[in-house]
Amino acid sequence: MEGKIIVVTSGKGGVGKTTATSCIGAALALEGNRVAIVDMDIGLRNLDVVMGLENRIVFNIVDVVQGRCKVEQAAIRDRRIENLFLIPASQSDNKDVLTTAGVERVAKQLRSQFDFIIMDSPAGIERGFENSVVSADDALVICTPDVSAVRDADRVIGLLYARSLTPKLIVNRIEPARVVRGEMLSHEDVLEVLSIDLVGLVPMDEKVLISSNTGTPLVLQKDSKAGTAFRQIARRLNGESDLPVEMPVYKTSMWHKISKTFGLKQ
Amino acid sequence: MLSGLFKRFTTKKNSRDAAKKRLQFSLIYDKLEVNDTTLTDLQQDIVDVISKYFEIDKESLELKVKRDDNVSALVFNTPILHVKRKKKA
Repeated sequence: MEGKIIVVTSGKGGVGKTTATSCIGAALALEGNRVAIVDMDIGLRNLDVVMGLENRIVFNIVDVVQGRCKVEQAAIRDRRIENLFLIPASQSDNKDVLTTAGVERVAKQLRSQFDFIIMDSPAGIERGFENSVVSADDALVICTPDVSAVRDADRVIGLLYARSLTPKLIVNRIEPARVVRGEMLSHEDVLEVLSIDLVGLVPMDEKVLISSNTGTPLVLQKDSKAGTAFRQIARRLNGESDLPVEMPVYKTSMWHKISKTFGLKQ
Repeated sequence: MLSGLFKRFTTKKNSRDAAKKRLQFSLIYDKLEVNDTTLTDLQQDIVDVISKYFEIDKESLELKVKRDDNVSALVFNTPILHVKRKKKA
């Protein structure tokens, strides 16, 4: 059976694309799939450090596309999660080094070797973005609940539609307490503005930074809220499309309940 | 609780609603943005069509996208120099 290529995009940088890619890839592997994560951010590679595989790089995606090595030689096997592989970006080349034709050729090989191929697109909508989406079967758009991320997400969604892809949205770094206080857009607000299907909601979680500090997979930490949310997203992508999306909730305190009773808070 | 009481009396509008409104407006305007080549092409086409019927001052015409709070409009302004007589076939 042919594997599926899922591109992870956002438009704006710094919204959690790399974290999302590594978590979703790892979680799909935990579900029993053979998964390749491909870092398409040529010149600014990061997935290797986030995944803790930076010391094992020999070849990269540019080497594969330019025919200097085989897919099997560039794919680094994760020793903690079975069937999880990373094909890192090149750090020395620039973004224009890849051609869409070259990427499409490699995509074909990847499809024959893996169940899922997760492509981490670079920020922006230039050449690197084109290369990441050219062979995608599905697209995920990540955004955080702030005006700049949502606006850029809208632009990217438009570009994906123009390529006949129907993207699904992940709202990242939700802080329910701030939503309740009226300081942050809720996921409903974001969905209404973008009018797109939702695939998952990820709460703000301090453990994300901690796990990237040490390069350990977040999805293996059972007490991580974000890790749990990403595992749910992976299950939805793996065919459990009717798995309900869990809303991040604000745990109300005693004082909150009392003031709510008196009509002081909503 | 005290802060809630304070907020209630200061009736400050929350920033969440402001963010949503601003986004909805800016996304609409983003989509209405037309690039320069489209506008020049359109202008040329309009000039060609009008020139069949009127002699117009090609130097002082202007084509603009006007934006209001509720509607966007395409405004084409041109001085007419002469009406062209159509020859009977």
